[in-house]
Amino acid sequence: MTTQSIICTQGLNLYYGEMRALKDITMSVSDRKVTALIGPSGCGKSTLIRCFNRMNDLVDACRIEGSVDFHGKNIYGNGTDPVEIRRRIGMVFQKPNPFPKSIYENVAYGPRVHGITERARLDRIVEESLRKAALWDEVKERLSHSAMSLSGGQQQRLCIARTLAVEPEVILMDEPCSALDPIATAKIEALIGELKQQYCVIIVTHNMQQASRVSDHCGFMYLGEMVEFGETAQIFESPTEELTENYITGRFG
Amino acid sequence: MTVPEQSTGIFRHGRVGRAKEGIIGLLWFACAIFSVAVILFILAFLLLDGFPIFVQAGFLEMLTGTVWNPTGTPPLYGILPLIAGTLLVMAGAMALAVPLGIGSAIYIAELAPARVKAIAKPAIELLAGIPSVVYGFFGLIVLTDWIRVTFGVPSGESWLAGSVLLGIMSLPTIISVSEDAITSVPREFREGSLALGATRWQTISRVVVPSAVSGITAAVILGMGRAIGETMAVLMVTGNAAIIPDPLWNVLSPVRTLTGTLGIEMGEVAIGSAHYHALFGVAVVLLVITLLVNLAATFILARIRQQNAPKAMSCRPEGPLQGERWAITSRLEPFRPYVLIAIVSLLGLPVAGVPGYFGLALTGYCLLRLKAKITPRLAQKVAFTLLLASTLAVIAILAIILSDIVINGLPGLTWEFLTEPPRNLGRAGGIFPALVGTLYLVGGAIAIALPLGIGAAIYLTEYTREGRLTRTIRTGTDLLNGTPSIVFGLFGFAFLVLSLGFGVSLIAGQVTLALMVLPTIIRTTEESLKNVPLALREGSFALGATRWQTISRVVIPPAVPGIITGAILSIGRAAGETAPILFTAAVFSQRFLPSSLFDPVMALPYHLYILATNVPGADTNKYATALVLLILVVLIYSVAILIRMKSQKT
Repeated sequence: MTTQSIICTQGLNLYYGEMRALKDITMSVSDRKVTALIGPSGCGKSTLIRCFNRMNDLVDACRIEGSVDFHGKNIYGNGTDPVEIRRRIGMVFQKPNPFPKSIYENVAYGPRVHGITERARLDRIVEESLRKAALWDEVKERLSHSAMSLSGGQQQRLCIARTLAVEPEVILMDEPCSALDPIATAKIEALIGELKQQYCVIIVTHNMQQASRVSDHCGFMYLGEMVEFGETAQIFESPTEELTENYITGRFG
Repeated sequence: MTVPEQSTGIFRHGRVGRAKEGIIGLLWFACAIFSVAVILFILAFLLLDGFPIFVQAGFLEMLTGTVWNPTGTPPLYGILPLIAGTLLVMAGAMALAVPLGIGSAIYIAELAPARVKAIAKPAIELLAGIPSVVYGFFGLIVLTDWIRVTFGVPSGESWLAGSVLLGIMSLPTIISVSEDAITSVPREFREGSLALGATRWQTISRVVVPSAVSGITAAVILGMGRAIGETMAVLMVTGNAAIIPDPLWNVLSPVRTLTGTLGIEMGEVAIGSAHYHALFGVAVVLLVITLLVNLAATFILARIRQQNAPKAMSCRPEGPLQGERWAITSRLEPFRPYVLIAIVSLLGLPVAGVPGYFGLALTGYCLLRLKAKITPRLAQKVAFTLLLASTLAVIAILAIILSDIVINGLPGLTWEFLTEPPRNLGRAGGIFPALVGTLYLVGGAIAIALPLGIGAAIYLTEYTREGRLTRTIRTGTDLLNGTPSIVFGLFGFAFLVLSLGFGVSLIAGQVTLALMVLPTIIRTTEESLKNVPLALREGSFALGATRWQTISRVVIPPAVPGIITGAILSIGRAAGETAPILFTAAVFSQRFLPSSLFDPVMALPYHLYILATNVPGADTNKYATALVLLILVVLIYSVAILIRMKSQKT
């Protein structure tokens, strides 16, 4: 990997109460690349991605060992502010979760909570973000309508626009297409290709074709362990682990 | 080959089976018809007996008249002071209860540790069950005295006392319903906001609370309903002078509410007199006000249900109006912080009185001007402190009331107190006849209402299709469900005691209480039956089970905890209510138990009411009676809560 790494984990362990959900994860994510995490349900890929912006803090009885370094600084170290971390590392969720507000307010929400009140500036941010998320042309006539009136695929792109509006460095996507139909999925995938020009994207997916289509690097996880991590082409063409090969060829999972 | 009309072998529904089906269906139908008839009869009775006074005194003259003196010459029927009293007391109560209630609801739902939340929720529901006469007793003994001393007025019985007391009484309702609304905001909204780098307070104030706003509004309206319909507590602390406060903001002036008027004057009217009709007129006005309030709540709750079905909403074509509304909302966005400041500054009212309240509002305004200098982190700190403070204030208020009653009541609570009849007008001796009388009253009421209510609910959910008829019935039930208990007392007195000639008697009290709890029982039973998934019924029908077999073996068993909970809550309510038995069943100081259904009885809430208001120097026994009533009702409610928690776990 030639590009600079932006997120590194060292011996990351995560426990839900007594249950050990992540086992000794050590990996490094490159900037301006798409990194995909694949694996069967319950393997811990969603749990892992939620470690990167401290969303697991919201879960009671969740305990973390090891470190997640962002630009070389441990985000679980003393004195780091999870709020600041989440501003710089945005997240798109499995189920589109727009707020019950207008389309405009959904995108303007992030900038507003970070103190931008000027209407003209907000207008500009909203338009730019919606353009980047390839949604602007579809919604520019009805920015004041409820976000709930959009279709599922549009809602998901709205959530991406909402994430872009706070100018993060990393975008985490937790199975962003699993609730969408194939056409909407294709749009999101094309969008991911665009986004990696400017951002580091980490995507969790169920769909191996999707991982091979969109990602540069790929990690295969099983039962809380990172079985194999490397270039996507290498993982899909010549995996070193038998487990990975079995999964990719569809022999289990 | 012809298909045999009856299936052969062991699987046979014979003629007997079919007849049984028919009879059972008829039985439920009878329950439903009877319940519905009773509900409609009560409404018709009130309206018909209230109508003549509107003709005689003139509707507009009544509404605008400022003197209420139905026994003077000439009699005057101006109900404006009564309406004003009701609305002022209610408004004052809300000024106290809304900020405190919503503040603590937010705290409990969003900030409290899981363990605290697990205790707080049932505790609040328990508090909702404390009988109003117990609150009234505390208000009369402690609160009015405190107001008299603090403000240096001759009597503390005032608008302020009524508002504070009613505010405290509506707190549990407001907290409990708002907390539910806030907790049911989907987790995804919180995560979405936090993932954008918003602080917890930003998430709460800008996403979570706005999403729950309809539920919170409904909570406030339900609290208002409780405040408007309350009789005993208000009767005991507001002074009951039928005047409009002068000046209008004089919170120390005595006032009289619509409910209080019924409670005071009901016992002394002759049937058919103008005064009699005037009281029914008051009841109708009261009914209309509560109806409006409840309709508003129903409407808002229905809208929430719509919102919680996002699929249905996204399919609906977007009208231009909808877009317009959103446009307005987003234009209002810049003013949102002011609303928040207003709410937060309202918190100051109960804490520091009117000057402090303005001071706090001013501080809030200054803070807003300095907004640029406030970091989100500081805002969060301030907001969380205020939320915690409001929660602690609620806990402190309720702890003061409970500890006052427990500490002063415990010394008087002896075995003799429970087993002896009262002597010397209740100053000495015990409360045995009152305790037993309450059990008689409640037992009788439940024996009447439970089978009828459950039968009616089964018929309505299982045997009919949703249509105009069921909607009418449901509206009637809801209407009676929200009706103030004193209105039932009025009906019981006018119809059972006077018209039917039962006299003040056990049976009249039982029937009145039964009518009061009937709508609650119908409603809770219906709810729990409806919660049983349709798939279960279909599964049973698909195996060839008859309707009654399906109902009795598949539908009812999972609904039983819900039905029992509803029944127990009704028992608790019936045991604690004073207003319905005030003039229908209860007497003070009767040494013996009733020997027949047509004898009057003693009852705990009524005993406490008379001891507190009419018998000087019975301090120990007053407190001990209040404590017994409190324990009794709290026990009944905790059984209901335990059953519900058990059934939720499985």
